[in-house]
Amino acid sequence: MSVESGPARKILVVDDEPDVCTYLSRLFQENGYQSACAADGQQAMEAVERERPDLITLDLSMPNKSGVRFYREIKARADLKTIPVVFVTGVTGPGGSSADTERFYRTRSQVPPPDGFIAKPIDPEEVLGLVAKLLGGSAERR
Amino acid sequence: MAESRQPGPDAATLDLRALTGSRLLDDVPCYISIQDRQFRILEMNRKLLEDFGDHHSEHCYRVYKGGREPCVECPVARTFDDGQEHTSGETIFDRRGLPHAVIVKTSPLRDPSGEIVAVMELFADITVQKELEHRLHDSLARFRNLFDVVPCFVSVHDRDFRVVEANDRFKESFRHRLGGYCYEIYKQRHEVCPTCPVADTYADGRSHAAEEIVIDSAGRQLHVMVYTAPVRDSQGRITDVIHVGADITEMRALQEELASLGRLVGGIAHSIKNVLEGLRGGVYVVNLGLRDNSQADIRTGWEMVQRNVERLSAMIMDMLYCAKPRAPRQVPVSLPEVTRAALQLYATRAKDLGVTLEADIDDSVPSVPGEPRDIHSLISNLLGNAVDACCADEDKRKKPRVLVRIGREDQQAVIQVTDNGTGMDEETRGKLFNMFFSTKGAAGTGLGLVVARKVAAEHGGAISVESTPGEGSTFTVKLPLGGSA
Repeated sequence: MSVESGPARKILVVDDEPDVCTYLSRLFQENGYQSACAADGQQAMEAVERERPDLITLDLSMPNKSGVRFYREIKARADLKTIPVVFVTGVTGPGGSSADTERFYRTRSQVPPPDGFIAKPIDPEEVLGLVAKLLGGSAERR
Repeated sequence: MAESRQPGPDAATLDLRALTGSRLLDDVPCYISIQDRQFRILEMNRKLLEDFGDHHSEHCYRVYKGGREPCVECPVARTFDDGQEHTSGETIFDRRGLPHAVIVKTSPLRDPSGEIVAVMELFADITVQKELEHRLHDSLARFRNLFDVVPCFVSVHDRDFRVVEANDRFKESFRHRLGGYCYEIYKQRHEVCPTCPVADTYADGRSHAAEEIVIDSAGRQLHVMVYTAPVRDSQGRITDVIHVGADITEMRALQEELASLGRLVGGIAHSIKNVLEGLRGGVYVVNLGLRDNSQADIRTGWEMVQRNVERLSAMIMDMLYCAKPRAPRQVPVSLPEVTRAALQLYATRAKDLGVTLEADIDDSVPSVPGEPRDIHSLISNLLGNAVDACCADEDKRKKPRVLVRIGREDQQAVIQVTDNGTGMDEETRGKLFNMFFSTKGAAGTGLGLVVARKVAAEHGGAISVESTPGEGSTFTVKLPLGGSA
């Protein structure tokens, strides 16, 4: 957050669980990012058009598969498909491992794989590390 | 028979030894005697004399069997009659009264004119063989018994896949007559199965194993673990294949149960994880507020904590409720009253979400016996679902609307909750009452309808659902009004 840097990078948090939205967006704000929240796929699409975020975290287990649909729409749009998307995977098999879920998404051929995964329960350090890596190491626009 | 017989030539005048050969008779290791037409013993060899005593001129039937009259079936008599040799199996008793199992062979002794003057009787002692035969029989019976009682389906299949032998267990379960085709009996097929361990065993002479699903005579599907093995003759050629099927249906059912228990635990873990995430978020925001001395953050964070503690306790109450079978109290519950209370609960939320709540309550519906709290949670669960179904609907042309109807049909009270929301497809309808099944993602616990159904059942009633995708759903609960109604 040095004075000479540009405006903060913007992260859109898409999750139907308002408390998780609040949690993640506060976490990002605390670490020098701007953030916005969306509770479903439609809100998310509106937010993307309006805010043009630099990165999106997306909970896929939203009702009516609106998360999946939103992801497909993003990836189908030339002007949006370069925005990195991180899946927040709450859905895990018995045993609690997210490995199966990740493999599932990685092997889907209909949609390109996401740029990263965050497994619930969320580890703040891990999330921040992943986001920093995807955004080129800095919270500020260069 | 003996009486009708013609008296033969005087046996005393015959040189019997000459007729029968020589003293060789004395040396053979079996009993030999010679009888006349009156069944009198004319000659005994040495072994016979030794074991039975000297009984010259006595009737054979008395000497050998202790009988007073000639035997009904007598090979000596038959040889006298037809001049042929005859054989029979007999039991005779020696001088000490010990039984000897013998094979008797009779042959005619003729004088130079060809007339039968006597019959030579030769007894081969087969007592030892008889004993062996008994033992063989016993052990066969024992094996047969084992074959029958072994807790498996055991059958023997020939090269044409016909079942030529089977144990009791098989016959009981498959009501089968020997000679039928195994694929018909086991699988109700009309041709050989595409993969067949019996055929494999015929082909390579080895044992094979397979897990099969077969159908018994009662039409039940059984999971069977099958082992096959070749049955060979003394030359080592495969004559048959034995097929042993162990019924593992119960084991499979148990496995299935364990798997669903695993899914259940997974569901619990997932639901709790979501709540936990909210809690952690709350704690995080409270900590930010404490650090920055921001009352706003502390308030926001604390609300998050409270909300999720509330969710967690509600979830645990529901889970406990689902887990415990119990009989509800039997106090009079006024459905109109409880329904109005539930409507009140959702009034604000429905208004915020733009959903119209309508009620069609027949106040003359008598009270039902039961637990007011349970009925209340049943109705609120249905109402909550209906409101959610409206919100989830993306068809913006519809005006979201939920109708609650309380009425009466015969001796039953009827609670009906109708929404014009998303509706459900067949698949969703099928899973609706499964624990932890939810279409609401993080917002649903997957317990509401489980609770609703349990409440209905505990009050002697039932819950049913009708739904059309895109048009909405109607949940109907019918509860018995009780005797005093």
